[in-house]
Amino acid sequence: MGNKQTIFTDEQLDAYQDCTFFTRKEILRLHGRFHELAPHLVPMDYTDDPDVKIPLALIVNMPELKENPFRNRIVESFSEDGLGNLSFNDFVDMFSVLSEMAPRELKAIYAFKIYDFNVDNYLCKEDLEKTLNKLTKEELTPEEVNLVCEKAIEEADLDGDSKLSFADFENMISRAPDFLRYRMFFACF
Amino acid sequence: MEDNQRRVNFQRLSSEDSAISDDSCEYYQTDIYEHLPSTLSRDWNSIQSLKMLPLCMQEKRNIRERLHQQKLKIGHWESWRRSQRIAWRRMVEQLKGFFSRLLPWKHTLHKIEGRFGVGVKAYFVFLRYLLGLNLLNCVIIALSVLLPSLYIKKGGPHCNLTSKDNGSVLDVFLGSGFLERSPVFYSFYKLKNIDKQCLNTSLLFFAGMVLILLLSFLMIVRRTVVGYKHTWMTGNHFSMNMSYKVFCGWDFCIQDPQAAFLKHSFIKNELKMDLEEQRFRLRVSQRTLKQKVVLFFLRLILNISVLALLGGSFALIYYATIKSQNKLDNVHWTLKLLWEYLPPITITVVNFVLPQMFCVIVTFEDYSLTTQLNLTLVRSIFLKLASLGIYLFFLITYLTTSIQNPETEFGKEMYKLTIFHLLACFCNAFLVSFPRAWIVDKYPSSMLAKKIGKPEFVIPLNILDLVYSQTVTWVGVFYCPLLPAISIVKLLVIFYMKMFTVIRCCAPAQRMFRTTSSSVLFNFMLLLGLIMSAVTLGVNINMFVPGTCGPFMGDSSVFNVTSECVQTLPRPVRNGISYITSEAFAFALILAEVIILTSLVSRGGANRKTIERLKDMLVMCSSDKRFLVKQHATLIRRQRRIAPSTE
Repeated sequence: MGNKQTIFTDEQLDAYQDCTFFTRKEILRLHGRFHELAPHLVPMDYTDDPDVKIPLALIVNMPELKENPFRNRIVESFSEDGLGNLSFNDFVDMFSVLSEMAPRELKAIYAFKIYDFNVDNYLCKEDLEKTLNKLTKEELTPEEVNLVCEKAIEEADLDGDSKLSFADFENMISRAPDFLRYRMFFACF
Repeated sequence: MEDNQRRVNFQRLSSEDSAISDDSCEYYQTDIYEHLPSTLSRDWNSIQSLKMLPLCMQEKRNIRERLHQQKLKIGHWESWRRSQRIAWRRMVEQLKGFFSRLLPWKHTLHKIEGRFGVGVKAYFVFLRYLLGLNLLNCVIIALSVLLPSLYIKKGGPHCNLTSKDNGSVLDVFLGSGFLERSPVFYSFYKLKNIDKQCLNTSLLFFAGMVLILLLSFLMIVRRTVVGYKHTWMTGNHFSMNMSYKVFCGWDFCIQDPQAAFLKHSFIKNELKMDLEEQRFRLRVSQRTLKQKVVLFFLRLILNISVLALLGGSFALIYYATIKSQNKLDNVHWTLKLLWEYLPPITITVVNFVLPQMFCVIVTFEDYSLTTQLNLTLVRSIFLKLASLGIYLFFLITYLTTSIQNPETEFGKEMYKLTIFHLLACFCNAFLVSFPRAWIVDKYPSSMLAKKIGKPEFVIPLNILDLVYSQTVTWVGVFYCPLLPAISIVKLLVIFYMKMFTVIRCCAPAQRMFRTTSSSVLFNFMLLLGLIMSAVTLGVNINMFVPGTCGPFMGDSSVFNVTSECVQTLPRPVRNGISYITSEAFAFALILAEVIILTSLVSRGGANRKTIERLKDMLVMCSSDKRFLVKQHATLIRRQRRIAPSTE
């Protein structure tokens, strides 16, 4: 058929293909989705790398993210400014990590960033409490939340500083049975 | 970029109240990362690993530019090898994608998983696996049993069956009449010589059956071992692992609000139940001696009552078997059908009623919830397999003493079991579950609806059902060679019926089903069923007086046919076979196995000790780090205090 697309240069598409887990067609489709989110903001022509960012509120309404209790944290951890405004590069990055083809190690790194609410490179008790409340929609009593968080830290903390560093987190995830490991991130795109 | 990183790290370390260290995600960017043993074993110089870097897009592009420039410096050999590796990897990925697309019902199972959870999907995946197993068995039978018999028209001794020429629908259910003389049953196949002395249909028949059992054994052992590695080798019981539930509890694939609501309540119930079990364990540790003694006697009495129930049901099965073998002739066809089907009906009723009673009994024994579920499950497994075993035992003892054609009768009994199992599933789906769901939907506030409630899809009992049906297929395959084909049709029907039940009739489960440890259990049960069928086959071949029909009748028993074939083989092969079947070889084999097992067990013990030691080292390293950071901060503070005072 040979319909030459004019959204990206060939060189840009090659770079995307090498740096993410997507093929050319999927990247063009992603651009279509990105454009749909804010048609007046996102240009159709990306050959000159325009600096366009879409705000958090528009991205968390995507059907893949809408039911996810951690959607705000996910978008924030992939944005450069930490506030959730994604450029197209960040957008592609996010879906590449969340796709089926990304390996467990990469997903574990970003999972750690997502669960780290106060961005101090450790999962302390407050981070865990916030995670738990988001998971159970705040239906557990405060004592139950406290008990669960204490037990979770006690189980996973290997170096004894009563918070979870990335090494502790990765070790805990790596011991999970295979198929449950991948359940964690399987955003079907 | 590297200098920038180093400066930033240094700044962090020098601040007074700094506790932020480098072993966070940024450690991937420090220089020491490249020297770690785990990184060195990976191939960092390929484009493939570029995708795995946790950096933002712009930085990845910069690295890619650098790699491209590096590429021009490498020779032809290295770049050729790299391109070959990339091509190979792409081909392997394509093959994997192709095979995963061949698996049927992928989309349906995905939808079920989203709506009902991983446990229900595991049931359907198990069903699909059994379908594949039966398909493989069918292919083997078609090649080794059906085709030779149908292809060779001439030859074979004469066989006179005692069945009449009725040809009614009843024959389909009883396996008599035209069905008895068809390829479905054992008596159709005769000993026909194809080419040399060794190649005859009977030997092919026997070889095909043995191959089926062997292949099934290998596949199931492999499946069991793969699951076993994940559950117990890690030394951690994930059923109690809270940290795992908190961090890996959410399924990021959920897009449906209904499914999200379900998942939230799953997780909440899981955590509440775990906390409940912690409280239970606290209560147990506070029991007084008097309470313990009373509990011990209570449990003893309840266990004896369970054994009494089991004994009673076995006696019932015995009477049903014996009574049903005395065939009634001049009665109405419904009564005749009921009489012939008496053993399967008894077994099914027993397997339906007794687990419910076990559930009630176990609530009095004062165990934690998980232990209660496991105990009921173990008792139900024992009931199911033992009732089948007892039935086979009484059937075989009866058939060896009384009947003319024991093989065909045995095949017919297995055939009847299979057909009745299908009927029972059908009745359960359409006459029990569907009306219950309909009542609850139409009149939700009535007394009846409140008492009955919507049926729940109890995963372990359903999987046990599948294991039972597969065991019956294996037991009966020697005397009813088309049983795997019938089984395939049956499994397909059951798949769609169960899907209907789950989607339309069942209430969503309240508790998440632990698939890993249970999958090991169910694969192990399948293995037990296979062993039971192999033992039954051995007993049958030895004990049945050969009838007037079939591939191994009269002089040409299984033993004779195989030994005749072995005699005609060339001398070295005969010597080899006689050596392999001798005691000396068996002794050497056992010795070699013992040595290998001992070395593996000792290696496992050494690994466990190493893991403990490494855990201790981690704690010590972390406290060393904290000590050093504090020392460093004190030093800096002292320097700063000295510096202004010297100005």
